[in-house]
Amino acid sequence: MAGSIEEVQKAKRLYMFIGLLLFFFTVVTVAVATVESLDFGGHGFDKVDAIIGLSIAAFKASLVMIIFMHLNHERPLVYFVYILGIVMAFFCIALIGWAKDDPIRYGNPNASDGFYNPDKPATRSVH
Amino acid sequence: MEIPFIVNVRKDTGLINSKVGIWLFLASEVTLFGGLFSGYLFLRLYADYPWPERALPVLPGLINTFVLIGSSVTVVFAWAALKMREWRKFQIYMSITLVCALIFMALKGIEYKAKFGHQAVQIDGDGPVQGHEIVEGHVHYAELDKDGQIHEVDKERKKEDGVFSANRIAFKASELSFVLTRPSHEAYVKEILKQAGDSHTITLKEAYRVINEDELYKGDLNRTELLESENALIADAGAELSTDVLDDLEDAYLDARSHDRKVRTKFLAASWDWIRDEEGIDEAATYVIEMDLWKERRKEDGEKLKIVTLGPVAEVTFTIDPPLTLVLKPGDLVKVSDVDIKLRDDTVAKGEMLPSPIIMGVDALDFRHTAQRAEAEELDPFPVIEQTWLLTHKAHHGDEEEGHDADHRNEFKKIWDCHMAWLKAETARLKTKGREPSMNDKFRVNWDQIIAYRDVNEELEYDAKMVYEYASDPDDDLVLYSSGLFDLKGFAGANHNEFDFPHLEIPRNKVGFESTFTPRWNTYYAIYFTITGLHGLHVIGGALVLGYYLFFGRKMYDSNPEWLANRVEIGGLFWHFVDLVWIFLFPILYLM
Repeated sequence: MAGSIEEVQKAKRLYMFIGLLLFFFTVVTVAVATVESLDFGGHGFDKVDAIIGLSIAAFKASLVMIIFMHLNHERPLVYFVYILGIVMAFFCIALIGWAKDDPIRYGNPNASDGFYNPDKPATRSVH
Repeated sequence: MEIPFIVNVRKDTGLINSKVGIWLFLASEVTLFGGLFSGYLFLRLYADYPWPERALPVLPGLINTFVLIGSSVTVVFAWAALKMREWRKFQIYMSITLVCALIFMALKGIEYKAKFGHQAVQIDGDGPVQGHEIVEGHVHYAELDKDGQIHEVDKERKKEDGVFSANRIAFKASELSFVLTRPSHEAYVKEILKQAGDSHTITLKEAYRVINEDELYKGDLNRTELLESENALIADAGAELSTDVLDDLEDAYLDARSHDRKVRTKFLAASWDWIRDEEGIDEAATYVIEMDLWKERRKEDGEKLKIVTLGPVAEVTFTIDPPLTLVLKPGDLVKVSDVDIKLRDDTVAKGEMLPSPIIMGVDALDFRHTAQRAEAEELDPFPVIEQTWLLTHKAHHGDEEEGHDADHRNEFKKIWDCHMAWLKAETARLKTKGREPSMNDKFRVNWDQIIAYRDVNEELEYDAKMVYEYASDPDDDLVLYSSGLFDLKGFAGANHNEFDFPHLEIPRNKVGFESTFTPRWNTYYAIYFTITGLHGLHVIGGALVLGYYLFFGRKMYDSNPEWLANRVEIGGLFWHFVDLVWIFLFPILYLM
């Protein structure tokens, strides 16, 4: 961590640069989503746009963590706690993997696996 | 008490204690938001309706992203200023951070308000695939006329007494039945009495009687006599409805019910003891209830119970004279039919349903769900859409006004024709680039398209031919407000003050489901409000802590500046985390 006055002074320039970088990538995120000539993949939103958008977000988040949150020079304990949090978050997201095996069925009973089947959408009961 | 290791690091961890604390907290926060993002992913992957892609206006979200990133920079600058012992600079940077938090929350407020005021209606349609076309817009205002009919009124009158949102249900009630098991009628009773005023009387139809417990045990009267006795009378026929009267009835009912329950339990226990002695068994009750002997005994008990219980009636009916037109919010009703309605508190009103259309200015047509269903049935979606109620109904309004609908097609059919013309041109244009229009392009007409389709014609008529000409001419493209990202007219979505949107009156029997853009509407808005709401609370919480350092930090700065710097670093870590969550939220909610 920046301890001495000189180091802090030097770090300030870095913070400014990272801030501008974050602004720039925010503009990039919006541009690839809204400007047609920058729309990768098919027309409109699709997987490619999701991958690009989330990759930029992940990169931006890394910048914030590494520079602003000083993860570039931290003690081992912080990394341990931080990785623990990330692992837990991924575990939460991975829970969706089990969703397919969930015995609770909803929607159309004719759907192949009990879940929503785009070929046979569930009917919404309207009285 | 002195807290150790807040300025100097602990040897074994190499950290100050508060840093260990904040990182543990942040790890738990990562898990919390991870779970919510997981929820988002689940809802989206398994949604049984077309997910609202890029449904939110981008500009407020974009500004908020800039604001939060900017504040992340200033908060780290504020920390650096403290490190260099520059109090004045610290004050400036921290103030900017707080102003950023304020701007963020203000924009969030504007966005939320637009959602709460934006109505969506899923129409119960006539086409081969029924009931999936959606219109979005702003509900107009209405009042009851002398005959008790709903009439639209001018927007300027919205604050007047008796003027309400034109999505209410009008029901001419002649009878009200309250269920006494639900001691929560107060709000509705008050509302009904308010609407009744002095011109209607609401009175108890029949006397409410409950057998008096003491008289029952004297045993010198039969049940009919007991019910007729003076002590049994709780409220006489003709008693006027009030919360007090209803409270009395409820108390009498609940007391009697609790008495009956005790008696029944006693009987059951006695029967159980009896059969155990008789049969010498101590088996599980499930086994016993199948025995004929037990069944016989319970039958006898039933006969006896008829004599020793009070048997209160759980429902009371009031008559309304003359019949009263109740105007109720759709959300207050759990059942609607032509002859009765049921309120949320299980109160049933009998009478006659009055025409209660939803009157609104429409700013979007959404046929994506219809198309999805049509495709599932292996039908061509376009003819299916042409047959929906929205495009085929005869417009009642606007005929007289300025000859608007002179050619008897409804306005929405014209808009759809324009959209088909635009789609034709757009498909041709995209084809030259080897692309195809998206589901959104094909089946959803956004507010800016509705305006653009009308504006191409100087007479402000929907003109499909002109739309096609404009759209297929590369030099003279349609002006779509949303494509101009920085056009403030559509800052938080369709602006009904700025533009005049087509008028639609949806008869109540065509309303399948209606809601504002709140969690009630669909799972997208449920998860949107959950995640952004929680994130907003984090912004407020973080701002309060940082504000405390700014306004009450001077004393600590003078006595122990390093401690304050450490505190600001810890608060800053939390603030960066809030920024970090938003970095993901912005693309996920606004751009995907």
